[in-house]
Amino acid sequence: MFFKMFLRSFFIQAGWNYERFQNLGFSFCLQPALEKIYPDREKLKAAVLRHLQLFNTQPYLASFVLGNVVSMEEKAAASPDPEARLKSMPGVKQALASSFASIGDRIFWGRLKPMTVQICLLVWAAGGFYGWLFTGLNVPVSMALLLAGPLAGIVFYSAFAVYWRWRGLKAGYACGGEASCGLDCVNWPRLIRLLSTAGFSMSVAIVLLAFGMLAALNCPTRASAGGLLLKLALPPAVLALHRATRAFGRSVFFAAGLVLAASVLLFSVFKLRPFYL
Amino acid sequence: MITVLKAVISAALTGLLGLDAVQAGQFLLSRPAFVGPVLGWLNGCPLEGARIGILLELLYIDFIPVGGVVPPNGTAAAAAGVLAHSAGGLAPSLSFFLGLAAGAAFSPIEYRLRASRSPWNGVIEAQVNAGDISLRRWLARSLLFENAAMAVYVLAWTALAACLGYLPGIGALYPGTDFAYSLMPWLGLSGLYFRFRTQLYKKG
Repeated sequence: MFFKMFLRSFFIQAGWNYERFQNLGFSFCLQPALEKIYPDREKLKAAVLRHLQLFNTQPYLASFVLGNVVSMEEKAAASPDPEARLKSMPGVKQALASSFASIGDRIFWGRLKPMTVQICLLVWAAGGFYGWLFTGLNVPVSMALLLAGPLAGIVFYSAFAVYWRWRGLKAGYACGGEASCGLDCVNWPRLIRLLSTAGFSMSVAIVLLAFGMLAALNCPTRASAGGLLLKLALPPAVLALHRATRAFGRSVFFAAGLVLAASVLLFSVFKLRPFYL
Repeated sequence: MITVLKAVISAALTGLLGLDAVQAGQFLLSRPAFVGPVLGWLNGCPLEGARIGILLELLYIDFIPVGGVVPPNGTAAAAAGVLAHSAGGLAPSLSFFLGLAAGAAFSPIEYRLRASRSPWNGVIEAQVNAGDISLRRWLARSLLFENAAMAVYVLAWTALAACLGYLPGIGALYPGTDFAYSLMPWLGLSGLYFRFRTQLYKKG
């Protein structure tokens, strides 16, 4: 039953809709458990309808809620007064969904996802590939290395995601019925801080590495001092532009659009002599 | 003919990989950093594919899909960008910016797809009430629609890119787009830096 639910949890967001969010996927994941708990068709129908109501949380940590709900359904089915037992279920479900959405968004979307890009860039750097940084350079590179970067990030991320999907199911089931179920099984704030620090350190390392590569490629033996200074000044200028657009509440697309418009104006319309980093 | 066939296969593959973003799996196989080199390899330009993919990925880090928000679609962006170069014949720099636009323009489509599933709830409840509790076919329908929408969308952008390639004077844009493209890694790296700096500053 748990393994089936685990496999189905990969589809928890299928059928996502604005009216009830993940309700379809959530009910689909619960189905193997509900079929086992309620052999009676009418009771099964009622249980499925119960879980077709609004539900939304972070998809990877939804397993904690799934495990919890299975446990609550089991206890309700075995109770002489199931209605009384089921009364608290929507509240517990909602409380857990909100809490895990907040935790999961911070860990997976806010930290681990950007870290997969860092891992990709570091793998490429370790393989000696900097072609992504210098768009005008045509460097020979193997397909294996090109794929190794993103795949390393995917493996790193998926290891976390799959682990928490499985562990969440088990932990949620073990403490079923509690509104704080699973919230104390890990020191989440510490994990979040740890990931932030690791991510920031890697960001700084990658930016310094990239800047070092730019300086090395344009060293004075190859370019004039003025040209070198101009090229070294451009990355901080882009960073400052991005900072400014963020300060005005604009996305990175706005900054990219500004860079594109200015470049086209200078080099395509006014025909200045182009140069590339 | 082979180029068209490759574009169709690539669009179909993009449709499949795109499902990973929300509908199924979420292993990050739909991210531009992966879609770019894969489609680049399929279309004979792995280096440009990887470059377009990772630069789009760096810019897309700025967007987080929380609370039902529909961010710009990285899969559509990478596929449209790579195919604009390989099948549309545009320069990588212009293809990249075209991909950026394609990803942003997919959000309203994704919004409509999600909204179109809301009326299903009533139908499904009626079906369960009638005794049929199978939800599998509804999920399959959802996957199919998303897959088809993405594939058609990417093909449409590839066709647009091919048409742009025939525009007289399009080459005059390239010095400007090439320079802007050469700055994109730095804009992306600044995004990576700010993402984590903000988190540390706000203490988690």
